[in-house]
Amino acid sequence: MKENAQTTKQEFVPKHYSILSDIIYFIKYFKKYEPLVLYFSLLEIILSAVVPLTGIYLPKIAIDLVTRKAAIQEAVTILVLFTLLMVAVCTLKTAVASGKYNYYNAQRDQFVGFLFLKKLKIPYKYTESGDMKKVYWKAFDSLSSGDWSALSRMVTGTIGISINILCFLLYSTVIGTLDLWLLLVLNALAFASYALNLRQIHYEESLRDEFAETNKKYYCVLNSMEHTKGAKDIRIFGMKHWLIQLRDIVIEQQRMVNQKLSRKRSFYEKASFLLSAGRDLGAYTFLLYQALEGTIDAGGFVLYFGAITGFSGFITGIMNSLAELRSAANSTDYLRAYMELPDEDTSSGSRHTSELSLPLCIEFKDVSFTYQDAAEDTEDNSASGKNVFDHLNIKINAGEKIALVGVNGAGKTTFVKLLCGMYDPDSGQILINGIDRNEFPKKELYGLFSAVFQEQLIFPFTFGENITMDRAENINAGKAWDAIAKAGLKELFEEKNINLKTYMTKGIMKNGVDLSGGQQQRLLLARALYKDAPVLVLDEPTAALDPVAESEVYNSYNKYSQGKTALFISHRLASTRFSDRIIMLEEGKIIEEGSHNDLMQLNGKYAEMFHIQSNYYEEGETE
Amino acid sequence: MNTDLTAKIPFREHIKNIKKILKIIIDIDKWYFLFTSIVHIINVIKPYIQLVLSAYILDAIIAQKNFKEVMLVITSTIFIILCLDFIASSIWNRMEVHREKAFLVYSCMTQTKMLDMDFSRIDSPEIRELRKRIITDNNWGAGINSLFWQGNAIIFGLFNIIGAAVVAFPVINFLFDSGRNYVIIIFIVLAVILIISMKTGIYFKKKTFQFMFMKINDDEKEEYLTLSWDFASGNGFNYKNGKDIKIYGSYGLMERWCIYAFSSKKQRKALKNSAIGWAGKDGSSEFAIGAIRGCTYLAVTLAAIAAKAGAGDIIRLAGCLDRLVSSAYRLVTDISEFALTARKQASTIEFLELDDEMYKGKLPVEKRSDNEYQVEFKNVTFCYPGSNEPALKDFSMKLKIGEKLAVVGMNGSGKTTMIKLLYRLYDPDKGEILLNGVDIRKFKTDEYRQLFSVVFQDYTLFPFQLAQNVATDTEYNTELVKKCLVDSGFGERINNGGMEMETYLYKDFDDTGIEISGGEAQKIAIARAMYKNSPFVLLDEPTAALDPLAEYEIYTNFDKIIGTKTAIYISHRLSSCQFCEKIAVFHKGSLVQYGSHKELLEDKNGKYYEMWNAQAQYYQ
Repeated sequence: MKENAQTTKQEFVPKHYSILSDIIYFIKYFKKYEPLVLYFSLLEIILSAVVPLTGIYLPKIAIDLVTRKAAIQEAVTILVLFTLLMVAVCTLKTAVASGKYNYYNAQRDQFVGFLFLKKLKIPYKYTESGDMKKVYWKAFDSLSSGDWSALSRMVTGTIGISINILCFLLYSTVIGTLDLWLLLVLNALAFASYALNLRQIHYEESLRDEFAETNKKYYCVLNSMEHTKGAKDIRIFGMKHWLIQLRDIVIEQQRMVNQKLSRKRSFYEKASFLLSAGRDLGAYTFLLYQALEGTIDAGGFVLYFGAITGFSGFITGIMNSLAELRSAANSTDYLRAYMELPDEDTSSGSRHTSELSLPLCIEFKDVSFTYQDAAEDTEDNSASGKNVFDHLNIKINAGEKIALVGVNGAGKTTFVKLLCGMYDPDSGQILINGIDRNEFPKKELYGLFSAVFQEQLIFPFTFGENITMDRAENINAGKAWDAIAKAGLKELFEEKNINLKTYMTKGIMKNGVDLSGGQQQRLLLARALYKDAPVLVLDEPTAALDPVAESEVYNSYNKYSQGKTALFISHRLASTRFSDRIIMLEEGKIIEEGSHNDLMQLNGKYAEMFHIQSNYYEEGETE
Repeated sequence: MNTDLTAKIPFREHIKNIKKILKIIIDIDKWYFLFTSIVHIINVIKPYIQLVLSAYILDAIIAQKNFKEVMLVITSTIFIILCLDFIASSIWNRMEVHREKAFLVYSCMTQTKMLDMDFSRIDSPEIRELRKRIITDNNWGAGINSLFWQGNAIIFGLFNIIGAAVVAFPVINFLFDSGRNYVIIIFIVLAVILIISMKTGIYFKKKTFQFMFMKINDDEKEEYLTLSWDFASGNGFNYKNGKDIKIYGSYGLMERWCIYAFSSKKQRKALKNSAIGWAGKDGSSEFAIGAIRGCTYLAVTLAAIAAKAGAGDIIRLAGCLDRLVSSAYRLVTDISEFALTARKQASTIEFLELDDEMYKGKLPVEKRSDNEYQVEFKNVTFCYPGSNEPALKDFSMKLKIGEKLAVVGMNGSGKTTMIKLLYRLYDPDKGEILLNGVDIRKFKTDEYRQLFSVVFQDYTLFPFQLAQNVATDTEYNTELVKKCLVDSGFGERINNGGMEMETYLYKDFDDTGIEISGGEAQKIAIARAMYKNSPFVLLDEPTAALDPLAEYEIYTNFDKIIGTKTAIYISHRLSSCQFCEKIAVFHKGSLVQYGSHKELLEDKNGKYYEMWNAQAQYYQ
């Protein structure tokens, strides 16, 4: 049954919005954060419709002046005035068009910030889900490729289509005065070229995935080449030749895609040349016939012919803008799909954690859990659709210190994620002091845990911000210094002259201070101490430390966790010595449980693991 | 070398930049600009053909010529234009493929260079600074693509001027014959306007530069800096870190560092200045173009009134003159843009021209079937670049053939440094390392490195095919690759775990790739070392990130990897040194103890005893 659910699962397809709806979406965004972009764009559209008129009237005025043999003075006055007007309109139009560029680009940057913040607001399980990751990266792509990003093309496309439609309407009135049939024929031709355009767009879109794929591969090879961490491997194993070969293969693949694209493009371009040659021929025939018949004069011939070619130019312009908008709208679907995900509900709940008596007792009751999507689970490596936990029962008593052990893939990391509220069980309950945790608001629930996860999170911000994980203005300095002292960092801070406003790492500030692995561990301890939550969770924090540092870190955590409920996860069994009870997990099930001595007596898996690690030490001692 | 793109540089510096980048482009693609030139010529000629056609038709209408005769001319002219369009389209689209490829070839040149740069320099502050500069220099604009586009604009501009000059030559004669005084005054006024607009253009352009290449001092960063791009792209923030943000309620902190700067006063002011710069820069060039058009019409009209010329002439004459002056004006702008683009690539070229600092020996390494290689460290002192504290101090040690040596010590005691010097990622500052009595610097680096197989803790597998990762080549001996994988303990995954030789590791390169766990990756890294089959095996904490069972499994396979070879095993887990005959204890860059486990443990004041107890206490 599970298998079945897996195979029928379909890839996430975002809701499709119309181009108009996307345009309104961005207009609303700009209205909220940068209305200047809207004003500038509106001005640009109006002025752009006027500019072609100046191009038509300047020669007309000049010809008029010459034919009626105007006085020099009059000619100078008229032409200078007209030039001033023309220059003013053109300059202003260009100035507003260019002036808005920085403003909407800054908004694109800001949107990236909103996208990232959205990732923090949605429930954590979405962050790990493979589908949502894809949506996220597509949304990111829609903002990240500079002038080719969806947001930028949405702006330029909207302006482009507005200008062209405006001019199209203006010119149709000119041509309409000549002949209604001509207008109809021209429109038919325009639609033929639209159909052509559309086919080309379809083709280019069908290649887009292939293109993105080879492009991704190219940058993947590049990343491998410039990876400073891999530089060692590259040199020792002489990988230069290999990577260069891969690079050339990928470049060739990309070239093939480009060639396919360019052949088709060349074909459609030629088809449209043919179409416009036909249009010109038709227009010439029609106008020449009329001119020779005497229906229109020479001037009329020039005007109408200009209008016909201009008219089809605007239609092409509309088509191109439409194409730009269409492809931008496709990526915008992903952006909107991500931005419109529901935020995690952190505030509703019928009870408050303040009513709980400390220390806390936590119970997993009949908990079953399955990842919906294999990509969510990168640590515990369970086969997709397989139960990580099947009716698991664990009770952590008030103030108890538990060590959770087991090989990689036993479900330890998933257990931590469930415990901290990142995921909810599929069935069963997680009780805190006997109360279902869902009765508490999420925000308060998170407040119950101090956790140090495997992926150490150190920001290039100030020490104060790193310890309190809060904005500078909210930092309680006394409490922070207290945590620093308790974590045993005070001497280091004094020695290196660090205060709460000193920056950590050189990521942002050149004078930032880097800490060693052991010192970073202590900083994470200080973070947990500052929070001072009733439950402490440590997920393998010491893998990279030398034995002396590791021992120190465990001692500190042990000292701090007095009077709190604590969960240590480590595959170094050293941690188990500090625990009241050891729980050994295997494939999501508790296989052994008890104190160190109990489990050694049991002589099962735990004892085996312990012996593997300790045999050398024991030999050394007994000899 | 001036690294500030906004600063003024001498003219010959520009020429040098342009020459260098053009040389690279021509090396990549000789024919590109030659072929696009054909397209430009066609595009210059086409409007004149249309012009001639219009003039002919107008004349024909006035002369009331025969409809069929005129239509024949029109049809054949349209056909010629169509042919020209077809030719131009074919060439241009083909050249687009060339350009895209050239872009890819150029874009990976720095990365390719990094493959055989001195290791010590890759992460050196100097190189990091240079790479950062390359990124900032290419932050705006389309890199080498801009160069192609602007190059095309310049070539087109040149042809355009030539074309316009040829056609406009009679115009100039006409102007000076008919309206000398007005024309001279008008052109002087126009020249003044053009100079002014060019100057204001430069003034505004500087403003845009101030924003684009803004250097932010540390004390202003809190106002200006946003980390949204970094965090959103996964740089400095792993999606798994979302857990910490939720647990510690740090949304506010993240908001401050992602969004705040967008509305900070300083940032708003900088943005406004830049917007003014863009508006002013493009506005003044548009102003110039408008002025040119107005003035040419004025001059031609006045001359025409004086000379009593016809209406048709005006359009033709003014059109040509307008085209001539404005394309000359545009050409000046294009050339200055081109120079800037070339200058932006100067940092990349500087990187490509970097010389290696390490001594490159020429001596071949003697191939010995008996593997009788002996290595000796003689009074070696070494400091990492940018550090004052020596990582190794006056260090001497001999490695005996076939010996299995364990190296232990605390973090930062110099264990890994010793290994890095041994396989020549760095050269010692003082002292020497000898291979069979010869300084290792004298050997060819590639051949010398062939002697070592290394498995380290922070090894890197690449997201390509499994077998290629083992063989580090696109061609490999399938049987041998399989054997190595089986021996390293990866066999089960190949036999019934769905991994083929061609399976991609991870999903970065190929979506069909398979994620592997840390333990599995380590096994592949070990198989890679086995495939290389070198006389020396160096193991640098290869199991630190593994769980005890996986670690044990790998230990039991070590015999297969090492065999009779010389091996150095580094670990801070003392328990894992059991298969080594001798143990060397490092402390603060020196060798402090050397001997068997038993001997070392007897020294109760020794470092080894201290470390031993720190770990053993848990297991007693």
